[in-house]
Amino acid sequence: MSSPVEAARYGSGKAVRRIEDPALVRGAGQFTDDLKRSAQTHLVFLRSPHAHAVIKGVDTSAALALPGVLAVYSGADLVAAGVKPMGNAVPFPRPDGKPGASATRYPIAVDRVRFVGEAVAAVIAESREAAMNGAEAVMVDFEDLPAVTDALQAIRPGAPVLCEQAPDNIAAEMKHGDAAAVDAAFQRAAHVVSLDLVNQRLAPASMEPRVALAEPDAASGRLTVTLSSQMPTAVRDGIAGALPGLSKDQVRVRVGDVGGGFGMKTGLYPEDIVVAHAARALGRPVKWCAQRLEEFSASSHGRDLVTKAELALDANGKVLALRTRSYANVGGYAMTVGVVIQLLIGPWVSTSIYDIPAISLQLTAVMTNTTPTGAYRGAGRPEAIYVIERLMDAAAREMKLDGAELRRRNMIRPAQMPYKNPMGQTYDVGQFEKMLDQGLALADWQGFEARRAASKANGKLRGRGIATFLEWTGGNALSEVVTVNVLPEGIVELTVATMPMGQGINTSLAQLAVDVFGVPLEQIRVVHGDTDRANGFGSAGSRSLFTGGAAVQVASERTLEQAKNLAGEALEAASRDIEYRAGRFTIAGTDRGIGLFELAAKQPAARITADGDATAGAPSWPNACHVCEVEVDPETGAVEIAAYASVNDIGRVVSPTIVRGQIEGGAVQGIGQALCEAVAYDGDSGQLLTASFMDYALPHADGFRGFKTVFDTSVPCTTNLLGVKGVGELGTIGATPAVVNAVIDALAAAGLGRDAEKVQMPLTAPTVWRALQRDFDRPDWV
Amino acid sequence: MTSLRIQVNGQSVDTDVAPTTLLIDLLRGPLGLTGTHQGCDTAQCGACTVLLDGQAVKSCSLLALQAQGRAVTTVEGLARGDTLHPLQEAFIACHGLQCGFCTPGMMMSACGLLNQVPRPSDAQIADALEGNLCRCTGYVNIVAAVQQAAQAMAATGEKA
Repeated sequence: MSSPVEAARYGSGKAVRRIEDPALVRGAGQFTDDLKRSAQTHLVFLRSPHAHAVIKGVDTSAALALPGVLAVYSGADLVAAGVKPMGNAVPFPRPDGKPGASATRYPIAVDRVRFVGEAVAAVIAESREAAMNGAEAVMVDFEDLPAVTDALQAIRPGAPVLCEQAPDNIAAEMKHGDAAAVDAAFQRAAHVVSLDLVNQRLAPASMEPRVALAEPDAASGRLTVTLSSQMPTAVRDGIAGALPGLSKDQVRVRVGDVGGGFGMKTGLYPEDIVVAHAARALGRPVKWCAQRLEEFSASSHGRDLVTKAELALDANGKVLALRTRSYANVGGYAMTVGVVIQLLIGPWVSTSIYDIPAISLQLTAVMTNTTPTGAYRGAGRPEAIYVIERLMDAAAREMKLDGAELRRRNMIRPAQMPYKNPMGQTYDVGQFEKMLDQGLALADWQGFEARRAASKANGKLRGRGIATFLEWTGGNALSEVVTVNVLPEGIVELTVATMPMGQGINTSLAQLAVDVFGVPLEQIRVVHGDTDRANGFGSAGSRSLFTGGAAVQVASERTLEQAKNLAGEALEAASRDIEYRAGRFTIAGTDRGIGLFELAAKQPAARITADGDATAGAPSWPNACHVCEVEVDPETGAVEIAAYASVNDIGRVVSPTIVRGQIEGGAVQGIGQALCEAVAYDGDSGQLLTASFMDYALPHADGFRGFKTVFDTSVPCTTNLLGVKGVGELGTIGATPAVVNAVIDALAAAGLGRDAEKVQMPLTAPTVWRALQRDFDRPDWV
Repeated sequence: MTSLRIQVNGQSVDTDVAPTTLLIDLLRGPLGLTGTHQGCDTAQCGACTVLLDGQAVKSCSLLALQAQGRAVTTVEGLARGDTLHPLQEAFIACHGLQCGFCTPGMMMSACGLLNQVPRPSDAQIADALEGNLCRCTGYVNIVAAVQQAAQAMAATGEKA
């Protein structure tokens, strides 16, 4: 049906210029803070300086008396106005069998604060300055309570308690697998390795802070909320659920450009509710724009899991069993997603690409006086893959085997597909050994010793690390609906519920439409971020292309089929005689025809339109082999990435340039966790120590040399129409263990042996230097 | 309020500003130039970078009055009508942007570098971008884009 000409230039599989880019490079993007409404007011939050305190009273009178201040809300004020708390049901039970526990999280704290940065009041004023002055004038009577910020300390008897229903601070606990079988396997194992692994807390740190603008419409009673979000429909439903007398259809959520999300901008935030409430209460537009300080203290954090991990192997290096005991620090309130990520999603990939017959995993979600955790790029899979990839290297070192060889001996073979892992997750396809072989070749694994010698001659310690792994994508939200409109002005418009946030999904969707319509890419327009036009799960969990892309294809084909029938009518010919090519219908064997857009203009509604939906049968399982080489300066402990090669099985590739950008940019986020990033709290006061980019170390431009990145597209995914696999999180998941394994290899070879495995992320220069002196920080196990 | 006369993207601007008004707030507010972004409160992210008399500066850390009588160039001043600046072209061609939030500041920092060093090494580019954070790209494509723009401008004799 498609035009060979346009599809060859712009269709799927072609490297095209992204349709998002021209506006963005001109500074003509539409980020939420770029919007300015007449009569717009400004909201500023006053946030708790205490990690844990009772709110004895909030006096807003002085603030209200200041010029320009329109309203001040305490948590109690919102409760009195009927605003409901956040829904944060903990979906798994506690160890004592009682339901999962969390303190109730109000949009503004009512009687107690549980982390530094929790909102205690909101001030709305005519200008941002007036609102800031107002926030300074709000008097809060806090009674300070002892705080605890570390999961292992929070579960000790006598630790400060955050929530009555959890005197031990345990929100929930999950056990997976067969503990008896695992114990037996460890009994008969020829080799056992054990590691303490700290997967430190991270700040997602999108460059665009969160912003929300709420506008009431007095005539209709509707409320429009524009914000920077990956999930407009969830925000719409959440706001309607939280505000009294507001139904879903009275709320319209719009999203323009999103300046990075990384999972942090999924779902509803307390601030969204407050901004929406204020706009309704005042009858005026209200805008809130987070400062970076607020982003660090009040936007979801990621990771924060400490694990004792053990692997049992037979004499040949075949893994017999995996046993882990993990404590996840989920923050001051146990949010549903934060708990599920650590207690269920991570475990789904705990055995990764290895044929491991028995597992026993125990994971405990612990509340502490820290920012609640949520999704951050990878969400559970980076933690699980880090555990198994660190164990593989430890076992190889123990058995004096090459790490690649030990992995090879344990890989699931293609003949075992579809393969059900011990968590009941079924992998449809995968050629893991082939990926390993390609990765080793790309990285010149065999030539490493010569490079190590060269580094040594320069006074540097060289190490190499490998991660072979897979990940789960889709968020188990596998359906998507897309509407196609062919418009007379020469535009094919796709209305979608997936969200661009830098990953260029609109370009990929447009390329799929080019495949069907055969028109130039410039004639495809993608409309996103409007709950009045399209609703769905949004973009998270690397799901957008394999669900939304499939829906674009279905909707496009359906539209064209319909248009073909209309063309038959217009040309007075049977539709079976109508041919389509490059935006034009013709009667076969004649030169009589009509253009697609001309045909649209002739329709009563001046358009040709159709919906299409698609549902993937199951998640996709992208997988990869990442190999990193590092150089460590023994004088300073500084680590440099010397080489990074990756081979990635991501099924069919629609937009090669974008895919490469996702893998490499994602890898740098993973490298950030390995080498420099960590959210830190003062253990005594619970004060957040990393509240600016001065203190929280993001990777900078000077840290990286070239990547070698290869795609293997030979194994299409079988669970979706397109054969694509999710790619947004793959690089992040692989990079962290590949880099850490490389540093440990360098340290081990420098004489530390298996002691090198005691080093914990982030591998900053001081940490690595101390490791070289055999000085390690170790988790404080109970 | 104090009267301020500056040039913004080649246009003369006469306005009154409060002595406390930051340059970024003048640009994004009254002047409506929202391509200059604010990503932090501590002058670390660089999303707000503009040129002041050809030099890259962080507009979140300058008072508007400090630009008195001087020429400011923002991202909106890079293109010539429909023709993109070589840096804009190169950022698209090299996939040097993803979410695009840091991109205006990145390009203005790069522009400031190319004003002084027309043919920089990769190391010089990375050094010049030290004050600009990007969370999406991993920087490799950004450095490549600046390099490509430098080559394109050298070929045509264009000034940054």
